[in-house]
Amino acid sequence: MSEAQNDELIGEVTRLFTCLPEKFVVDFANGIDVVRERQRHMSTRTGMFDRLYDGFTGKASQNQAEINGSLTDGVEGALEWLVDLTQSLAKSNRAIYQVQMRVSGMKQDLATVANYSADTRYALERLSQHLGDRCSALELNVARIDCTQRAQLHLESVMGKWGAGRFAGLSLTGRCYAVLEELRWGAFGDHCLTISGTERQQLLEDLANRAIIQLSRDAQVGQGERIDTRNRWLARPSADGPRNVSEETLAYLGDWSCPDRSPMTYAISQVPDELPLQVPLLGSARRMTEGLVNELFLETSA
Amino acid sequence: MNASLKVGLVLSGGGAKGAYQVGVLKALRELGTRIDAVSGASIGALNGGILASAPSLDVAIERLEELWGRLSKSSPLSLKMPGYVSLLVAAGLRMNGAPAILAAAHGAKRLAQSFDVEFPEWLNGWEDGFLDDKPLQQLMDEFLVSKNLQRGLPLYVSLYESLGGLEDIARALCAELGFGDTPHSKFFHVQSIADEEEQKRILLASAALPLLFKSRRHDGRSWSDGGQGGWQTMQGNTPITPLLEAGCNLVIVTHLSNGSVWSRQRFPDATILEIRPSKSLARANGPLAGARDLLGFDGEKIPSWVEQGYQDTLQCVGRVLNAQSARNELRTSEAALVNIERESTNADQVLADAMARLR
Repeated sequence: MSEAQNDELIGEVTRLFTCLPEKFVVDFANGIDVVRERQRHMSTRTGMFDRLYDGFTGKASQNQAEINGSLTDGVEGALEWLVDLTQSLAKSNRAIYQVQMRVSGMKQDLATVANYSADTRYALERLSQHLGDRCSALELNVARIDCTQRAQLHLESVMGKWGAGRFAGLSLTGRCYAVLEELRWGAFGDHCLTISGTERQQLLEDLANRAIIQLSRDAQVGQGERIDTRNRWLARPSADGPRNVSEETLAYLGDWSCPDRSPMTYAISQVPDELPLQVPLLGSARRMTEGLVNELFLETSA
Repeated sequence: MNASLKVGLVLSGGGAKGAYQVGVLKALRELGTRIDAVSGASIGALNGGILASAPSLDVAIERLEELWGRLSKSSPLSLKMPGYVSLLVAAGLRMNGAPAILAAAHGAKRLAQSFDVEFPEWLNGWEDGFLDDKPLQQLMDEFLVSKNLQRGLPLYVSLYESLGGLEDIARALCAELGFGDTPHSKFFHVQSIADEEEQKRILLASAALPLLFKSRRHDGRSWSDGGQGGWQTMQGNTPITPLLEAGCNLVIVTHLSNGSVWSRQRFPDATILEIRPSKSLARANGPLAGARDLLGFDGEKIPSWVEQGYQDTLQCVGRVLNAQSARNELRTSEAALVNIERESTNADQVLADAMARLR
């Protein structure tokens, strides 16, 4: 036995020889050395005297019996070990079976989790889509509300300017036309283009109502009271002088109008010598205003 | 495997080959094996006495190496057969034909006297059948500390009730030839004997070869070499019984003869680890080779026996330990499997609960 083998064995034994070794293991392993030693001894007793002596004293048969006994013990030990090992192997196999069962179960669970995950992802995608749509709708609503708000503010602002007399340099209907044109080309007009139906109808009705009130107030007549169109509604603030800048601007704004399709606008902005046939000679504030609103907002949009 | 380990060591008789037991002890020390009790016969009783009286295994080995080293350097046979060597000779009685040799030597002595022939000086002590005790007493006093023996390892020695030197030899001779058996030796627990001198007397008696050494009296009876008892089965020369009765659950038995007839089969319930020589213990060749080995106290034989005892012990014990190691690994892995099975069962339940929530 080499030095290294000795050291290895010593290290192993120091760790192991603190508990009682099993008897059958000792008999099995140590029996090998016992049998080998007896066999070696018997193999040396081959001389005639030795054979006679061992035969006479019974030592030969005694030795053989001991060898047989040790071999039997060895076989029994081997059997015991084999049984034990087989039982242990059976335990290991059962453990492997358990592991396989668990692996199989875990695979099924994993499949369940994977399906759940896929379903969840699909649900999340649907939710995302729904939320996106909802957000878009909300954005549109917000934009619409913003547009409405700006249209209202625009309306308030322009009507405030009218009420403050900012358009006093124009004829009565010219003021109304200027106000409507300013609204049409601003936020109010943009808002009118985005809405339709009842909402648009209500908005224009509200505009018309406020314009009728302000126009009646400027003309100092009742809303339904009819007065002369040329001499009152179209009458210039200063009948004798040349057209002021406001009037020039008004004419420029209404240069698109024609007597047939937009007679009120034409009559107010261009101030022709002869009024178009559709323009009444006597008109109320309501008639003038509604005519202008229709020409500027309804007919234009149509 | 969980039983507490109590290891007994049997040191059998075998003359000068007792040096083999020094190697055994060295190997057992290196293997980390503890020794809880020791028993011995003849040379084994004296080695055991030194072991039991030492405060530790290291000190015991140191003392035994010093003793056997001294014997290997000097020529004991030129010292007019000092007592200790005579004792070793007595331990050699187990060898085949040894009693016949002794009887023949005794007869030759008387024959030589008849013819007025000069006989070797060291055999003069046989004239009255006894050898001088003083050299043995000196060696025992030097290496065996009696006062420490009382609190040392439990020591058992085998003693053979003597009926007189010649009759003892005659009974041994008959047993050797297969005509009956010698009576069994008795085993004595040395520490149970209160008197130190009586303890030494018991140890001396264990190796008291008939005709070479005078028998010793104890409890009113004469006792001589314990190796003579139960000759057919080596009951006295391999005193395992007291260790088993003392509760040793693992007994390491050392043999000092080739093909020892001692059989573990007679102790079916005991766990016995035999240390047998892996190669012949014989060193001498030719006529009376066995007797010359028994008296082989020289610088060549003793170190070789020590080394052989060391190597044989590593091999015999190592084979058992390798096998037991494999068994332990198997058991450990099985236990680990059981533990992890419990944990896995818990994990199964946790997973099942989680999956139930999912479903």
